[in-house]
Amino acid sequence: MDWRDIWILYRHELRSALRERAIVVNSILMPLFLYPVMLWVMLTALVFVTGLSERTSSRLVILDVPAAHTVLMDTLQARTNLEIREDVVSADSAATLIRVGELDALMEFLPPEADARGMDDNFQVLIRYDRAVERSRRARDRVEGIVAGYRRRWIEREASALGISDADQQQFRIIQDNVSSGQQMGALLMGVMIPLFLVLMVALGCLVPAIDSTAGERERSTWETLMTVSASRLSVVTAKYFYVATLGILAGVLNVAAMFVSLGAIVGPLLADVGAGADAFQFSLPLLALPVMIVAAIALALFFAAAMMILAAFARTFKDGQAMVTPVYWLAMLPIVLGQQTDQTLTPAIAAIPVANAARMIRDAINGVFIWPLIAETLAVLLVMVAACLLLARAVLQFEDLMIGSFDGSFWRFAKERLMGKRAREGTR
Amino acid sequence: MTESASIRVQALQKSFWDESRGEVQAVDGIDFDCHEGEVFGLLGANGAGKTTTLRMLATILKPTGGRASLNGYDVLTEPESVRRSLGFYSATTALYPRLTGRETLEFFARINRYPGDQVAQRVETLIERFGIAEYADARVEKLSSGMKQKISIARTIVHDPPVLIFDEPTVGLDVMAALEMQHVIRELRDEGKCIIFSTHIMSEAEKLCDRIAIIHQGRILALGTLEEHRQATGQHYLEDIFLHEVMAVEGSA
Repeated sequence: MDWRDIWILYRHELRSALRERAIVVNSILMPLFLYPVMLWVMLTALVFVTGLSERTSSRLVILDVPAAHTVLMDTLQARTNLEIREDVVSADSAATLIRVGELDALMEFLPPEADARGMDDNFQVLIRYDRAVERSRRARDRVEGIVAGYRRRWIEREASALGISDADQQQFRIIQDNVSSGQQMGALLMGVMIPLFLVLMVALGCLVPAIDSTAGERERSTWETLMTVSASRLSVVTAKYFYVATLGILAGVLNVAAMFVSLGAIVGPLLADVGAGADAFQFSLPLLALPVMIVAAIALALFFAAAMMILAAFARTFKDGQAMVTPVYWLAMLPIVLGQQTDQTLTPAIAAIPVANAARMIRDAINGVFIWPLIAETLAVLLVMVAACLLLARAVLQFEDLMIGSFDGSFWRFAKERLMGKRAREGTR
Repeated sequence: MTESASIRVQALQKSFWDESRGEVQAVDGIDFDCHEGEVFGLLGANGAGKTTTLRMLATILKPTGGRASLNGYDVLTEPESVRRSLGFYSATTALYPRLTGRETLEFFARINRYPGDQVAQRVETLIERFGIAEYADARVEKLSSGMKQKISIARTIVHDPPVLIFDEPTVGLDVMAALEMQHVIRELRDEGKCIIFSTHIMSEAEKLCDRIAIIHQGRILALGTLEEHRQATGQHYLEDIFLHEVMAVEGSA
């Protein structure tokens, strides 16, 4: 292996790649713009839809209002987002209209249960609606909110008349107090999003270059050209490997940077718009989190690059390569799920699971948690996986029929014929 | 250049495993030499073993038996030195579409260890020699097949190798491009290069090759100058000579 040759080949691969639209889009533009734009579009759409929903009126029928509670009726009629229909006079016909979508909810006053008649004018309200219809659910929420408020004030008034003090009334009040700071809430959100996107983006960043530098080279008939240059096979493959890993790292780092900027500049203000409060989410990272994320991105890129290149090396066309490598990309998502529980930090068991360990390590770093022995275990596990892939690649490269594109582009056929079958016993000649 | 600048092939063999046919002997103990300033032709039908032989000489494939050396370097034990001494051109070796012609030449010069301070001058010389200045800075993917062919030949010789291998270089070319290719090969021979050239086109071999080896089913049936083949077979045209040699083997089989 010659580092001068590797450098020449690496520059050649990179120069060529940066002129390929698919690679630039997948490894640079998509990580940089896709998720920020997607987040912006999603949240803007959410704000827009919420606004539209608020303006839509709910069609409501009210039956059997007790004379003592006409004030509630007046309150309901005063609401501009409620359209009270008076042409429906029975519960059955109202229910029918709800089922066909011509009415959103029925509000029917019923007498209280037998054991709840201690207070004069006590009542029950039955709200009938269609849970499968968003507009009907919204009508229920509106009516329920108004009735609950009226009921609370009415009970307070009645209790006061009976001589029950305010303090006695409040004994069973449930009080919630969120002790998380805006910074902690921001870390929670980043801890969910950044590990997921970083892993996916590193894998995506490696995907096209891994296929392009192996199957693509074969499809373009430049593979044989490259096999006749004076650099050793090992130098050629090493240069390609570093090139694929570089684009994976680039994709991961760009994505994290873009995500971080967009969380602060786009998501924060939009969450404030939908009612989360201006200070509910603050986005900042502990200083040590950045190097941890970069190291994780490098380790992941080295792993994905090796795994994807091994499979893509068997493919004869770019399309074959995509079919072979894409499952690796999706498989990468499974372990991420293990790393997404927000109430746990890195454990020795999770640190032993490739990809999941990196996702959890990144999330911990975002939350300011640095368990160095487990971070070391995580990196060691990933590097062992990388070494295993490279040893496999080295073993596979001994087979010259792989270099000239045999086995119908199938790793499994290669494994069957060369590693397990009759030819395996004949050696690698 | 010395005697070691030649190709030397001794009892070279290559076998493949085929799932349906079992062990296939693609090249079966062939011997030949090729010297500087010579065009040596490998003439044979498709599947005769020409490309396998040339791929072994270019170290793309490893021989399963025998020996071969280029420029004094053994193909098995010194593959990098062999490739440094070699320019390989075939119908299946393509150019990088996203590089320009100039970048292509620079890359192949550097990776084949042409002295770094002379690369730019060498590239300019070849651009001028092959008349490709007009499109040397355009990406290869934008060029016509004729333009690509010129860059491809320049790519093959950019590191000034003493040995050149042309594997069916005129396959897929139109008449004018094929004639141009033959002209370039003659020029390179006159410059003292050792050239091995494979083809299944008789007229091409007749016009270009100083010596011709007729290869059939992995074996060399006859080897010599055209005149020697004529004397040995009593046939005048190479096509008849080829048929004579092949039929002799098929008949005795």
